[in-house]
Amino acid sequence: MPMVLLNCDKDIPEREKHIYLKAPDEDTREFLPLSNAPTIPGTLSERGCAFCGAKLVIGGVLKDTIQMIHGPIGCAYDTWHTKRYPTDNGHFNMKYVWSTDMKENHIVFGGEKRLEKSIHEAFDEMPEIKRMIVYTTCPTALIGDDVKAVAKRVMAERPDVDIFTVECPGFSGVSQSKGHHVLNIGWINEKVGTLDAEITSPYTMNFIGDFNIQGDTQLLQTYWDRLGIQVISHFTGNGTYDDLRRMHQAQLNVVNCARSSGYIANELKKQYGIPRLDIDSWGFNYMAEGIRKICAFFGIEERGEQLIAEEYAKWKPQLDWYKERLKGTKMAIWTGGPRLWHWTKSVEDDLGVEVVAMSSKFGHEEDFEKVIARGREGTYYIDDGNELEFFEIIDLVKPDVIFTGPRVGELVKKLHIPYVNGHGYHNGPYMGFEGFVNLARDMYNAVHNPLKGLAGIDIRQPRSGAASNGKKEAA
Amino acid sequence: MTDCEVAAKPPAEVKVAPKSREGIINPMYDCQPAGAQYAGIGVTDCIPLVHGGQGCSMFVRLLFAQHFKENFDIASTSLHEESAVFGGAKRIEDGVMVLAKRYPNLRVIPIITTCSTEVIGDDIEGTINLCNRALKKEFPEREIFLAPVHTPSFKGSQVTGYSECVKSLVKTIAKKGEPTGKLNLFPGWINPGDVTLLKRYLKEMGVDATLFMDTENFDSPMLPDKSIEIQGRTTVEELRDSANASATVALARYEGASAGEYLKKEFDVPFHLLSTPYGIHNTDEMLRTISELTGKEIPESLVRERGIALDALADLAHMFFANKKVAIYGHPDLVIGLAEFCLEVELEPALLLLGDDQSSKYKKDPRIKALKDKVNFDMEVVLNADLWELERRITSGELKVDLIMGHSKGRYISIYNNIPMVRVGFPTFDRAGLYRKPTLGYQGAMELGEAIANALFAHMEYNKDKEWILNTW
Repeated sequence: MPMVLLNCDKDIPEREKHIYLKAPDEDTREFLPLSNAPTIPGTLSERGCAFCGAKLVIGGVLKDTIQMIHGPIGCAYDTWHTKRYPTDNGHFNMKYVWSTDMKENHIVFGGEKRLEKSIHEAFDEMPEIKRMIVYTTCPTALIGDDVKAVAKRVMAERPDVDIFTVECPGFSGVSQSKGHHVLNIGWINEKVGTLDAEITSPYTMNFIGDFNIQGDTQLLQTYWDRLGIQVISHFTGNGTYDDLRRMHQAQLNVVNCARSSGYIANELKKQYGIPRLDIDSWGFNYMAEGIRKICAFFGIEERGEQLIAEEYAKWKPQLDWYKERLKGTKMAIWTGGPRLWHWTKSVEDDLGVEVVAMSSKFGHEEDFEKVIARGREGTYYIDDGNELEFFEIIDLVKPDVIFTGPRVGELVKKLHIPYVNGHGYHNGPYMGFEGFVNLARDMYNAVHNPLKGLAGIDIRQPRSGAASNGKKEAA
Repeated sequence: MTDCEVAAKPPAEVKVAPKSREGIINPMYDCQPAGAQYAGIGVTDCIPLVHGGQGCSMFVRLLFAQHFKENFDIASTSLHEESAVFGGAKRIEDGVMVLAKRYPNLRVIPIITTCSTEVIGDDIEGTINLCNRALKKEFPEREIFLAPVHTPSFKGSQVTGYSECVKSLVKTIAKKGEPTGKLNLFPGWINPGDVTLLKRYLKEMGVDATLFMDTENFDSPMLPDKSIEIQGRTTVEELRDSANASATVALARYEGASAGEYLKKEFDVPFHLLSTPYGIHNTDEMLRTISELTGKEIPESLVRERGIALDALADLAHMFFANKKVAIYGHPDLVIGLAEFCLEVELEPALLLLGDDQSSKYKKDPRIKALKDKVNFDMEVVLNADLWELERRITSGELKVDLIMGHSKGRYISIYNNIPMVRVGFPTFDRAGLYRKPTLGYQGAMELGEAIANALFAHMEYNKDKEWILNTW
């Protein structure tokens, strides 16, 4: 019974291996959804490509770095204005994207000269910017352009600039996950240890795997400031290129997103002996637990308790107000991967919300181990879910709200199911104590949206007593 | 200005040249496969299959969702590493069969190539033959059209990609039969609001015409029965009968006109290429041509609508618009059309940005030649342009503009330089509901003019710049 073959998948029975319905007393060693496996062509999967995993998710977050995409124009165009990661310097990272705009003759004769010219042009046009990441794409990888050699030549000519190259074309791996890996490993091997930081605190750490979605990083930074912990580098929310070259100097690596950024934390442990501490930054229980662990590491437990007490005093009453009203809400989570295990238990513990179905685009086996351990029985756990499967799962679990991307959100709107942006958030930040109140508020406003009730009314039918279910109270 | 000053004023200079840089900072257009996907979703019971990496369709679907606030079905062959090495044609076969099996109503699958699969050199036509045989065997009752769409990303742009897919769909499906007496209308890459407007005009004239692609349902409702209606309205039958129309009218030189040329060459359907109907004169020309072709009179209702538009624009032109400098960017047919409209309402389109590698075609465009002859102020047309060309000119002080017209990708130029902007074209994700608003025809001209005026008015108010003028307007 545990692995599920949906009706819509009768012609692609191999999908059964990817969908798990958790039942009591089962051994997840036997029933782990197959993940990080190739997508079946034509299934309308939700997955992106490896290039976007590197550029859009990690590298493109940096606030002081030119993102030079070596390929045709689409790869640049498509990974621009699709993310909500502000910075404290006027959002340089969201305003611009750079492309070598490869044409057919470059495909035939090679694109290295075009790349070199484009790099110089970019630095000339923006003389205050001295850092760059160069990405290959499908065609430039296929023709074998040596981007590393080009970067070296430019750096020799321009001693004040530094360039990092990422070679992960869209077709590599099976999803964006491959791009995370390539960027992580490339960075530790080539750039970490090439600059030193000014140490201003006896307690130093890197905060890894948080991309400042709607200000997450900046909110959490207020905690670290209050605790007196120096964050050497943020990988990569509101981060700078040079701070990431100084990662080797931290005493501790705190990891939020273990999927996209666990690799570099592991390498920092291996190469520099820096311990790795995984925390969950979403949710009251989890955030408090994370702060306690970090403070215990540094021996500053009292400061931690004080911070938690202050934050609870300020935000817990608001959270509880929402919990009272959200209790029993059925939620589905269709996002990248890690948010499944970050959120399933935190919304249950902190808000009384039941997560009834979850789908991951690029999670690996270890992500499913975590989410199945933390998640509820009777809940569906899906790898690489596709559109028809979503419809069928909605029929089976009837969620009140779905946390997913805006495109799928538009689709489920037609089914009168509200969505909350599970990637870029509706009105975040969602991390930290204040952030989780924001999440609760957005979920409450979605679930109690009066339009949802109106949508179900057919005005050709006689009036019925069942008026709008959008009863809302002032928060 | 004194007479002496007027005499001393040098003649207006018009410069048409490509940008000098090779690379691009902030592109104006997406790549060819994106445009092909847009054309593909305009057909009923059609799911485009993009043969390439997953990002090539995933991000384009997101782009469409951003613009229309709707979800569109587009599939991918999910090209992975082994296909890049050994070829990916098998993934097309798999993808086609999976789509056909899981979507029983499916009738059309455009197979859209990308840079990777063009470099690898997968044999699309040969694979389609294999697929057709497999489909016939598996589904003897069904007819599913597979259209080869070659759109390597390293050529052209979303504009040429759109054109290529429209043409391929017509080529694949059009078939000689009984004359229908209908008109083919290829309006180009326009919003549902404009589709609705054109269909209304044709109805008011009593003209029987088919619009390719009919995207009216891209603005789709939430219904009590929870049904999902988001798909194009252009049917297989309409595409088939495009060969049997009385004439073809194309309203966009670069977006779908090639399909009209094909129909002329292959099926002798008379072909008429018109200026895109932005502004009053271009709309006049469109209606007159359609009237001449069909023998149908232009009705009183449209004469009145024209009058209402003129009446509204006359309140704005010489009082608020005259001598205001405008920068325009976006699709070539849009940019040129908007420049023509600007001249009608006394706005001065000082900078036009046309993107992609089709410069040689744009240089020969008779509309650009006409603009050159017409303008009495300095105008620059940048070819192969990116948005940095606009931003650089503005931040350096080289160019002062009072208004920007273009799509949302240039929003930061407006925001950070405090220049009013009217969103028009594709995509316009940072304003609500624009896909529903007409920009073509008399009504479109009027609504665009009013949007421009209101943007200027809001700007005057936010900046407390002679906002008191509006006290008595």
